[in-house]
Amino acid sequence: MRRPLVALFTAAALLTATACSSSGGEKPAAGQPDNVNAGVIAIVDVAPIYLGKQQGFFSKRNINLTLTTAQGGAAIVPAVVSGQYQFGFSNSISLLLAAEKGLPLKVVCNGNNSTGKDGEDFAGLFVKADSPIKSPKDLVGKTVAANTLKNIVEVSVRASVKKDGGDPAGVKFAELPFPDQLPALQAGRVDAIFVVEPFQAAAVAAGAKKIASSYVDAGPNLTVAMYFTSQQLESSNPDLVKRFTEAMKESLAYADSHPDDVRAVLGTYTQISADVRAKLTLPKWPAEVDTASVQTLADLAQSYGLLTKPANLTDLLP
Amino acid sequence: MNRTVLGLLGLVTFGGLLEVAPRVGLVPAQYAPPSSRIAAALAEQARQPQFWAALGDTVQTWLTGLAIAVAAGLAVGVLLGAVPMLWSVTATTVEFLRPIPSVALIPLVVVLYGSTIRATVVLVVYAAFWQVLLQVLHGVADVDPVARDTARVYRLGRWARLRYLVWPSALPYVVTGVRLAASVALILAVTGSLIVGSPGLGKEIEVARQSGAAPAVYALVVVTGLLGVVANVATRAIERRVLAWHTAVRTEVGA
Repeated sequence: MRRPLVALFTAAALLTATACSSSGGEKPAAGQPDNVNAGVIAIVDVAPIYLGKQQGFFSKRNINLTLTTAQGGAAIVPAVVSGQYQFGFSNSISLLLAAEKGLPLKVVCNGNNSTGKDGEDFAGLFVKADSPIKSPKDLVGKTVAANTLKNIVEVSVRASVKKDGGDPAGVKFAELPFPDQLPALQAGRVDAIFVVEPFQAAAVAAGAKKIASSYVDAGPNLTVAMYFTSQQLESSNPDLVKRFTEAMKESLAYADSHPDDVRAVLGTYTQISADVRAKLTLPKWPAEVDTASVQTLADLAQSYGLLTKPANLTDLLP
Repeated sequence: MNRTVLGLLGLVTFGGLLEVAPRVGLVPAQYAPPSSRIAAALAEQARQPQFWAALGDTVQTWLTGLAIAVAAGLAVGVLLGAVPMLWSVTATTVEFLRPIPSVALIPLVVVLYGSTIRATVVLVVYAAFWQVLLQVLHGVADVDPVARDTARVYRLGRWARLRYLVWPSALPYVVTGVRLAASVALILAVTGSLIVGSPGLGKEIEVARQSGAAPAVYALVVVTGLLGVVANVATRAIERRVLAWHTAVRTEVGA
C-alpha cells in the first residue's frame, strides 16, 4: 500500500534528475570532431554558415557544427561569453557596444555587408507612397521605426539624414520589430520604417517608397555584422578558432558566388516563401572585415552618443 | 450525435467566416490570410521535418514540466495537508508566490539556462505547480470527519490512512488539478518557446513571423490549438478512468 507513494517520489526524483542533466559542451576524445555550437539569427544574413555546413566546409575541418537560432544579437553575445555557444553572429554596433562594456569578445571573420549600391541594398528606408516625405532630410521631427533602439539602424538612418543635409539629431525613433513595421507605416503610426529583407520585398510589394539605402549612406562596403567568439576560447583553443574561421571564410566566399544556392538554403531555416526568396536582394558576403567601415560606424555611434569613448578596434577585430 | 453535427457545423461556419473576411477586405489578407491559405500552409508544414521536431519539442517540454509539477504538487500538498503546523508557516509565502505570473520569470530563466528547453520547463513547472498544489491542499482538507473518526477507531496506521482515507477523498481534486495544470502547462510551453526561443512550436511561430510568412504563423497557431484540444480530451479520459468509482462520474449507474 505504500508502493504508489514510493513510486511517485521516485518518479519525481528521476524527472528532476533528467531535467537537470544533459547539455554537453565537453571536450571530445582525441580523433573525434569538435562539437561546436554557433548562435545565429534566422535571417537572410546568416545564409553562408548554413550553406557552409551543408557543403561540408566545417565537417572537413573536423568541426561538428550545430546552429542554434536566437531572437537577436542581444541574446547571442552573453551566451558566447558564458561559453554556451562557441561562436556567434551579431551586428557591428552591438559588438562595439559590448566591447565598450568590457565583454571579452573577439571577431573571427566578416558577417555580411551592404551591397554598396544605393537603391539596390538588402535594406532600406521606406515611407508611404503618398507621404510628404520625399528625402531623408524631411525626416527631421518625424518618427522612424527601428527594430532596436540605439543600434545600427539608428546610426545608419541618421547618416542618411546627415548626408541629405538634414539635422541627424532631429529624427525620432520608435522601437518596432521588423514584421510589425510595414503595418505600422500603413496605419500611419510611424512616418518611416527601416526594414531588411524579406520585409523590404513586402514593403515594395505594398507600394511603399524607398527614400534611402541607409547602410550604403553610413559607409561604403559597410560591414553590417560579424562572427565572433570569446577571448577565452581564442586563447584556450586557438586551433579550433582558426579552423572555424577558415571554414567560415570558405562559406562566405561560396555564398557570395552562388546566389541560387543561397536562395535554396533560405528555405531550410526560414519560412520565407519561395516566390519572395526568388526576388529578394541578397547582401554581400566578403570574407574579410572591412575595418575602415567598422571604424566609420564606431565614429558615427560615438557622435550620436551610443558609444561614450573612441572604440578600441584592435582588440575587437581580428 | 446531434450535438456533434451542430458542433461541426459551428466549426465550419467559423472557418467560412475566416475565409470570407479577408477576401471581402474586412481584414487585410496580407496579415490575416483566409483559412484556405492557412490550411495550405499547414499541409506545407507537415511535409517539413523541422515542424515535427518542433512539435516533439513542445510536447516534451509540456509533458516534462507537467510531470514535475504534478509530482512536486502532490508531494508538497500531501505534506502540507498532513502537517497543519507546516501549512500555517508556509501559507503566506505560498499566497505571495502563487499569483506571480510565470512569464515574469522569463528574464531570470534566460539568464540561468539560455534559450533551452530547460528554461521553458522551469516556466511550465512554476505555472502548473500551484494548480496542483492548491487542489491537493483542498482535497486533503476535504476528508469526511466521520470517515476520519472511523479510521481512527479502527486504528489505521499513517500509511493506511493516507491510502484508504486521504487519497480517495483527495483524488477528485487531484485529477481536477492535473487537468487545470495540463492546459496552463501547454500555454507556458508555447509562450516560453515563443519568447525565450527554446526549441518548439513557439520558436517556429517566431521564425515564421521573422520571415514575413503570415499563413505559416497561423498554421502553427492552429497546431497549438489542436494540442490544447488533445490535452483536454486526454485529461477528461483519464478523469473518467481514475474516478470511475466516484459519484460524480458514475451517476448513470443509479439511474
